[in-house]
Amino acid sequence: MRYVLERIAFSLFALFILIFITFLLSHVVPGDPAIAAAGPNAGAEKIQLVRESMGLDKPFHVQFLVYGAKVLAGDFGTSWFTHQPIADDIMRELPPSLELVVMAMLINLLISFPIGLVAARYHGSNFDNAVRVVAIAGAGVPIFWTAILLQQKLAADWQLFPVAGRLSFANRDFEGATGFYILDSLVQMRLDVFADLMMHIFLPALALSLLFTAVGVRITRTAMISEFRKDYVVMARAKGASEARIMFRHVFRNGATPSLTVFGMQFGWMLGATVLVEEIFGRPGIGRYAIKAVTQSDIHAVVGVVLVVGLVFVISNMAIDIILYAINPRKTRED
Amino acid sequence: MLVLAVIGPYVAPFDPLAIDFRNRLAEPSLTHILGTDGSGRDVLSRILYGAKLTILSTVTVIATVLVFGCILGIFSAFVGGTVDNFLMRIADVWLGFPPLILALGFAAALGSSLEAAIMALIFSWWPTYARLSRMITVDILSKKFVASANALGVSTFRKVTHYVLPNAFDVLIIQVTLDISAVMLAISGLSFIGVGAQVPAPEWGAMIAEGRSFTSKGWWIVTFPGLAIFITAMSFNLIGDMLRRELDPTLITRQ
Repeated sequence: MRYVLERIAFSLFALFILIFITFLLSHVVPGDPAIAAAGPNAGAEKIQLVRESMGLDKPFHVQFLVYGAKVLAGDFGTSWFTHQPIADDIMRELPPSLELVVMAMLINLLISFPIGLVAARYHGSNFDNAVRVVAIAGAGVPIFWTAILLQQKLAADWQLFPVAGRLSFANRDFEGATGFYILDSLVQMRLDVFADLMMHIFLPALALSLLFTAVGVRITRTAMISEFRKDYVVMARAKGASEARIMFRHVFRNGATPSLTVFGMQFGWMLGATVLVEEIFGRPGIGRYAIKAVTQSDIHAVVGVVLVVGLVFVISNMAIDIILYAINPRKTRED
Repeated sequence: MLVLAVIGPYVAPFDPLAIDFRNRLAEPSLTHILGTDGSGRDVLSRILYGAKLTILSTVTVIATVLVFGCILGIFSAFVGGTVDNFLMRIADVWLGFPPLILALGFAAALGSSLEAAIMALIFSWWPTYARLSRMITVDILSKKFVASANALGVSTFRKVTHYVLPNAFDVLIIQVTLDISAVMLAISGLSFIGVGAQVPAPEWGAMIAEGRSFTSKGWWIVTFPGLAIFITAMSFNLIGDMLRRELDPTLITRQ
């Protein structure tokens, strides 16, 4: 219990830092916002008036508290280019991005764990060495480049997948209660829409996951190797346990836990990396929204995205750590 | 690759910015080995010039975070106590945030340019080195020879230059080689989405962004700059891994 409380306290601290960074980004770095807001022809008096109305004449810490209170209340300001509250914009754009990240994470896990486990079992073999080199090399792949190449080859040239978008034109009116269309389509038993969604999401998810999978394979492989060296494996072998039983029941279960922390962090990084993928595949989402906001120099909208991605990151890490603790309290404390 | 970055501009057969519309979208041939882009510029020359741009910005980022991160980390370790705890907690939190999105925020605040992207990455990357150098320093300060040095009244400055830095060198050099590829990917990624180097600069990420509209007419425009990023990043990763196997003492004891 003490551990869980500590973990929550750390997350709150992380949240505080996050708000402070975004405060610096939106209020301090860009220069004097009053001059920007008052327009190019404003005189000194006008600027002074705007400054007071924006609360910029207040001391630094007061401004920060006001900003923090607004953010915590879910008020991120209004976007300059959609003319909507930024919080609403982000709530609309977040579900498609989360869907994409979850799919990419599934691909990542489905590749990383089996390959990492087998490479570790046959540590030092040709297969293992090949896996190691490919994983190291794969960590140098530019995500946006693979995304373009996959789109060009598999979608445009060979027409195996749709080139862009989240849904086909025929299904453009589809709506769901949660905004997570994959979930919604299953709830509504619209299997045609579900298949359509899957076809659209596969390539962007694959492109997004490759770099992270390379890292994932390396991490699971290392974790499993150290697990295979433990005394209990020797013991199990001596007792005549089958190799399959050792691999899956013993090594996999114990070796998977340390890797899960890394996958938890990757979740946040992937959400950040959607800026590289969504625009290419013409998918709605916060990555594309962030790019639009940057090109329109809408600093508050960008900061809103930073806040939300940071929040997802803090929560997912906390959740993973607490789950790991719930599974095995003693092991977590040792680490 | 470093060699290429230095000699690149001298061996490049064409001016990387020279526009030649008669020769636009030319396929790779003997004159234009990697073809030309949508404005008739020679792709090979642009990649060679871009090597300097990309590698120089990467080195700037790494060198700055290395120096500042280490100063902060070593300071933190020497002071200890609450200050140390507080600084490292901040580094912990900061380290976790997706660097790309944080850099995007900084770039948005500073305006879009290659310099802004470099600044943004420096802001996002320092915690790695602060944490690492602190860890090494704490480890070294706990050694017996430091205790005897304390008894002899060795100055703090001397302790840093004679004990900490030489011992930290191996670990830091490994981290640097491994980070080079990550920083390079981030810079080209930022340039690709338009907040880093601006078109028509021959930065590799920006070249890919520019070539995107021509993927169906000229595969070479996007493929080769990406390959350049990939090969460079991959080589640094492989060198880093090799160095780690050679130098990292913790790896040996752990196995």
